[in-house]
Amino acid sequence: MTVVDTDKCDECGTCISVCPGNALLIGNRLAVSPEKCTSCGLCIKVCPFGAISNVQQKI
Amino acid sequence: MSNKKYDIIVVGAGPAGACAAMSAASAGRRVLLLERKPVPGVPVRCGEGIGHQGMTLSFEPRPEWIKSTVTRARMFSPSGIGVEIGNVDKSYILDRERMDADLVRMAAEAGAEFRASSPVVWAEETSSNQYKVTCSNTPNNINTNNGTGTNNSADINNTDNTKTEFEAACLILADGVESRLARCFGWNTALRLADIETAAFARIETAGIEGDCCTFYTGSAVAPGGYLWVFPRGNGVANVGLGVIGSRCRAGLPKELLLDFIKRTYPEGRVTDLHCGGVPVAKWVRPLVRGGVMLVGDAARQVNAINGAGLAYSFYAGQLAGTVAAKAFRSDGGLRRKALSAYQREWAKVFGKQQERSFALKEFIMSADDAFLDKIADSLSKEPSGKVSYLRVFMRTFSSRPLLLFKAFKLFR
Repeated sequence: MTVVDTDKCDECGTCISVCPGNALLIGNRLAVSPEKCTSCGLCIKVCPFGAISNVQQKI
Repeated sequence: MSNKKYDIIVVGAGPAGACAAMSAASAGRRVLLLERKPVPGVPVRCGEGIGHQGMTLSFEPRPEWIKSTVTRARMFSPSGIGVEIGNVDKSYILDRERMDADLVRMAAEAGAEFRASSPVVWAEETSSNQYKVTCSNTPNNINTNNGTGTNNSADINNTDNTKTEFEAACLILADGVESRLARCFGWNTALRLADIETAAFARIETAGIEGDCCTFYTGSAVAPGGYLWVFPRGNGVANVGLGVIGSRCRAGLPKELLLDFIKRTYPEGRVTDLHCGGVPVAKWVRPLVRGGVMLVGDAARQVNAINGAGLAYSFYAGQLAGTVAAKAFRSDGGLRRKALSAYQREWAKVFGKQQERSFALKEFIMSADDAFLDKIADSLSKEPSGKVSYLRVFMRTFSSRPLLLFKAFKLFR
């Protein structure tokens, strides 16, 4: 699952601009919609601050 | 419940949005300007440089907007060969925080209603040819924090139940590189990795900054597929930033490279601000108008793809879109949507070609390697600086590899 570390996130929106599924939302904080996210990893790659990562989901 | 109605709603209060709102309100329209952040222009995600020509095309800059005036540039090749360019058009390093605030104030003085802390979460067309825009009133509880410091829910409908709706006949979207709203109206604005620079911006206090000179560093060790800039802000302060092309980026690389550079080059320097952002280096979006919706600024990819400069385009496009939209209203208050196409026509005529050329050049430069840049720098460094201009850099680039000229020519067609 793709998650945003809000401590590292600067809310710049670079991830949003490359997301093909429109799965990232910015209000005054940024988050990933688990329904729309396909885990393609583009947002992780372009984040200038390295605030997005994939974590294993606990069952 | 009836929504508050306007003629034009502008989403995003950066330079493009503020200029659009200002122009439309000056022409007598009822305008609402929405901004997601509490203070427009903060934090600054910009190198803050602009050429004299690009600035004065739209505005006479206020003295308090200008932190310093630059007349020289220096470029370093990947292996460190320095080329002094003495023949530089006068450029300004701006105080974006101050300027952005002033532009919004000017829009409000022209009659636009301004609302900060109003992130637009949805926009749609209604059955009566109006546009309905939904703002969240509680921007901080959009996310549910799962207690681990990470967020995984973005379903605004479940977590946010206080919203405000507004209606207008015309929408101007100036919501930046991250524009999501264009996607509500059928634009596919997702950028290819090769068409975005992922950037980090720092402000540093340090000795040894020349007040009238911009310095650029190139090479894959410094900024892969981009460049690093040092812009003087006066009083021992400088903007230092860099862009890395998305296709050569990895998580966190821009920040790491920037902090490494600062440590190496300005060991005594103190970093006072550190932010990041994306810069589109794509072709401008076509169409710019769909129905009653217009795109301006970064949302429309109105950025010079060679250097990432977008301010001058944003001023111009914002003013143009606002003026065209205001004129498209009939005396009975109805909008003639067809009249909005004048915006795209005029933009294409004035800056469209130039922007496309910058894109073609970017594609070409991305195909060059470090050794190529070193070779050009080496030959230019043997000339007196007063003789070196940007044009000469360009000419030398092609004369040293004539075959590339053919390749570039193909891109220009």
